[in-house]
Amino acid sequence: MKRGSLLVENVIFIVLNLIFITILAFFIFRQGNGAIVLEQSYAKNIALLIDTAKPITEMKLNMEDAMTLAEKNGVRREEIVTKKGNVITVKLSKQGGYQYSFFNNVDVSIYPDVVPEKNYIIKINGYNQ
Amino acid sequence: MMKNKNKGFLIPPINLFPRNRKGDKILSVYWFAILIIVAGGIFGMVYVFYGAPYDVREIESDLLINKIADCISYAGKINSNFIFNGVIIHNNESLLKQCHLIFNSSEWDEEQYYAEINFYRLGDLNNSFLNIYAGNNKWLANCAIQENKEFEKLAKCNRASFYSVDNSNNQYIIKILSVVRKAEKNAKL
Repeated sequence: MKRGSLLVENVIFIVLNLIFITILAFFIFRQGNGAIVLEQSYAKNIALLIDTAKPITEMKLNMEDAMTLAEKNGVRREEIVTKKGNVITVKLSKQGGYQYSFFNNVDVSIYPDVVPEKNYIIKINGYNQ
Repeated sequence: MMKNKNKGFLIPPINLFPRNRKGDKILSVYWFAILIIVAGGIFGMVYVFYGAPYDVREIESDLLINKIADCISYAGKINSNFIFNGVIIHNNESLLKQCHLIFNSSEWDEEQYYAEINFYRLGDLNNSFLNIYAGNNKWLANCAIQENKEFEKLAKCNRASFYSVDNSNNQYIIKILSVVRKAEKNAKL
């Protein structure tokens, strides 16, 4: 066995190991920042914020990571968080979307902030009659 | 010849890379097996961790209790729409309306919440003199069997009690039970 070939073998071996570790790290990162996980996390977060809130409250929620992901997936900023009745829907991909309901019977407005663009505004206007 | 002898003297003659490569082949197969096991383990752990939904029912039932408590009694005084001068004013139908609660949603076929409020006079803590219920009492049965690990995912039950007085300073202990189901969205069934 020549020393030159030994070096090449070791280099290939190290490169393969690095590729393997990189793929694993990428997989873990993708899982943690994937649309499914973020949609669920934000939908539940917003529903719980509404449950806690009292009328005439304005909350700003930093959704920078969700907005970046939604933009990448072709979802418009206004379509990320929607409310229908007492159900919050967070959508970060074209075919995705996660719903969660809240029990506080309040009139809520949810819309993206103008400046800075990373925030979403949750406004509790009053109680529903 | 002389050159080789000197080399052996300076560097210990350990044969790190033997000429027989059979062992290397076995080692590389073993190494790939290790890689597959490690990758499988990490994939499995990540799948289990991110595959299970975030369980927020405990927080939700806490919030429900706080909301009902704020509605029944504010700053230590019972809401006069419930008890006035020691007389029961309230009826079951208006709890959701009075406390601004909404238990049904388009997300579920049936209500996923249940709330029960029991009022006790301070002199008689064994018999409640006013009971108010709201929501789906089907989930109440889950509270009793929740101690069993097998059933802990069914619904989350939470209890709280506090002291309050009415406008005539009659003293009461108020016990609140809140139940949140939403099992499909909060637990891996």
